[in-house]
Amino acid sequence: MLATARTFSLLGIEVREVHVEVDVCNGGLPTFSLVGLPDAAVRESRERVRSALEDSGFKFPQHRITANLAPADLRKAGPSFDLAIAAGLLAASGQLPPERLDGLSLAGELALDGSIRPIPGALAMAEAAASRGTRAIAVPTANGPEAALAGGPRVVPLERLQQLRHLGTDAEPPAPPPFELSLNGSVPGEPDLSDLRGQPYLRDALEIAAAGGHSLLIIGPPGAGKSLAARRLPSILPPLGRADAMEVLRVASACGMLKRGTPTVRRPFRAPHHTISTAGLVGGGSPPRAGEVTLAHRGVLFLDELGEFSREALEALRQPLEEGRVAITRARGAVELPCRLMLVAASNPCPCGRGEESGECECQPSSTRRYRAKLSGALADRIDISVAVDRPSAQQMAARAAADSAGVRARVIAARERQERRLGSGCCNADMDLTQLRSAGLTRGARRTLAEGHAQLRLSGRGHDRVVRVSRTIADLAGSDRIETEHVARAISLRRRGGE
Amino acid sequence: MSGPPGDVWRLRRAEVGYPEALLDLGEDAPAALYGRGSADLVGRLTRAETLTIVGSRRPSSYGLEVAEELGHLLGAAGLVIVSGMARGIDAAAHRGALAGGGATVAVLGGGPDVIYPRSERRLYERIVATGVVISEVPSGTRPGPGCFPRRNRIMAALGAMTVVVEAAEPSGSLITAERAYKLGREVGAVPGRVTARVASGTNGLLADGAAVIRDAQDVLDRLVGVGMTAVRRVGPPLEPGLMSVADAVEDGAATTDAVALAAGLGAPDAAVALARLELLGYVRVDAAGRYARTSTRAPEPRREATTLKS
Repeated sequence: MLATARTFSLLGIEVREVHVEVDVCNGGLPTFSLVGLPDAAVRESRERVRSALEDSGFKFPQHRITANLAPADLRKAGPSFDLAIAAGLLAASGQLPPERLDGLSLAGELALDGSIRPIPGALAMAEAAASRGTRAIAVPTANGPEAALAGGPRVVPLERLQQLRHLGTDAEPPAPPPFELSLNGSVPGEPDLSDLRGQPYLRDALEIAAAGGHSLLIIGPPGAGKSLAARRLPSILPPLGRADAMEVLRVASACGMLKRGTPTVRRPFRAPHHTISTAGLVGGGSPPRAGEVTLAHRGVLFLDELGEFSREALEALRQPLEEGRVAITRARGAVELPCRLMLVAASNPCPCGRGEESGECECQPSSTRRYRAKLSGALADRIDISVAVDRPSAQQMAARAAADSAGVRARVIAARERQERRLGSGCCNADMDLTQLRSAGLTRGARRTLAEGHAQLRLSGRGHDRVVRVSRTIADLAGSDRIETEHVARAISLRRRGGE
Repeated sequence: MSGPPGDVWRLRRAEVGYPEALLDLGEDAPAALYGRGSADLVGRLTRAETLTIVGSRRPSSYGLEVAEELGHLLGAAGLVIVSGMARGIDAAAHRGALAGGGATVAVLGGGPDVIYPRSERRLYERIVATGVVISEVPSGTRPGPGCFPRRNRIMAALGAMTVVVEAAEPSGSLITAERAYKLGREVGAVPGRVTARVASGTNGLLADGAAVIRDAQDVLDRLVGVGMTAVRRVGPPLEPGLMSVADAVEDGAATTDAVALAAGLGAPDAAVALARLELLGYVRVDAAGRYARTSTRAPEPRREATTLKS
């Protein structure tokens, strides 16, 4: 007898529907074959299904079993097909009425004892089920709350394989409550800006970067508070809106990073180590997996020790940063992953960290040059703001705690609102195009200062545009419609150095 | 003998135009000089008007600044600046001389057509175009170990004075200074921070009695005698507020936060002031975003009034 169960295959952060056709026919030696481009984990599904069925009080049919995963040309990866294969097998062998599988999708990994393990991508699967008008989707209990967020089909949380019996009956487990998205801003336990002592200029730079969505480079010796500052950036960014929060959740769900009962959704902060591979950073592999840039979607990507990252990895970052998405193209089709993020990089002034001007630097000039070349190389035209910092003095460390994140965030939100009124919803100054740059509102004095900068500091065209964008943000923070001379001057001193 | 600047020429010890200063080396004087660029400049080299500037290949930004300023102002004042085209101080001295429109001679360790270090290719070409590069080894010779110490004696002999800008201990620059001293040439050194490794050699020279070189004027006073004045780069006048920020940078405040603290300003005001000073040419920023004072002086003679000169 033939039965069909429906499930989904995860590709990047999107899913494709997969039909599991199971045929159990009498005669011949008992075999269990699985076809339809399964990878190793899917092929091993046969052993898990066999053991789980027997441990759950079902019978594993001693016949010739063929399971086909359609469409046959889509490569299937991972263990999330177990549940659908088991359900199809039960229906095909008469242990479950086949009509129970109508209008139902299933996804879950089986343990040998019949319990059901969580899977990545349950949110995207539930959303896909909703768009197909599916009646219900059965998912592992641990994935219930995220699947319920899709707001579409009825979510049936399953703890154990036996519960398949109850599907479509009154004994069906009740739908779980969806995740509560608390979007009101401050997240308990989030690192706060009041931890940053002294360094008023670095604070300014963080505020301006957050307000305009500008990427930021912090250069200074070890111990100057570079990563401490960067880690506090999410706390001054505007809180996530519902749509953006769903995007963050979708990525976290697809990457299996949603912990059971995560209470709040916050802007992600990702700080990959500098030994990371190119694929780890921007995504890749087969099947395609999301990289750090996607995990940082709608949040902050922090590259500490920028000069130590491999040139290829930094080079590979360029296009994703430019376009806000990563396209991973494989022979069997392309996957697109989102990566709209704020880039923050930190670097020592030279490989030894002491800095050439200290007169105590022991770096080879050639290694310092290579190191600097990385700062001004691959990523240079993606960095809007750069700021040099020193270790705070003992006096500054002892000073009373500085202002906390809440006040800064309020100013950032106000500045973003001004930008959205001018540029359109969801836009910030960092994205200003040439037309918008031309009508940025420079006063005559500001224009003159910019022209001087062009002549004296040999600002390039791009460098000029960056100064206008950053000065626009400084004006927005000051609540000014016009960009004054002073705003341009501040932007000039925040500009990135070298490599123009 | 002197062909177009592209060709390598040779000048034997006995020939006319061989610098007399080198004969002070006696037996050790190079048997011949090979060069690219203006052979006439070599012929015109008189001991009295030639200054050798040497120093570390890994200088601080302060050292680079001083070397470039000395090259610039003294080149403009008519001295021929001799150095070794090494990375760091040497290259800065050449660059300064070229920027000031002065004549400059690079003494290489390898053949005159072998650019070493490769990173100074552009500088090499500019020197060949307006000055001259010379060597005692024929074209095509790669610099090997021992080349540079031997090259140093030529630099020491050519200059009436050798000024060391920054040097650690031990270093090739100190060897050059010692050769210069033994040849009876003047030796000067630029004082540095006593805690900085890169200033230990120069401060040591000062302790041993080398002339203190604070600026171009100190060199001119020693070399030419009192009466000749170095020209300073003078910027537009500064309002007092900006002046105090420029002073803070001069006193070593290199980041905006440090400047704000030293000048008693808020961070935004300090940033505005620094941008203004940068536009006026009073401060500059390195690739790591740190500020340093340029040699541009304010037009008021207030600094000159306080210097003690005999």
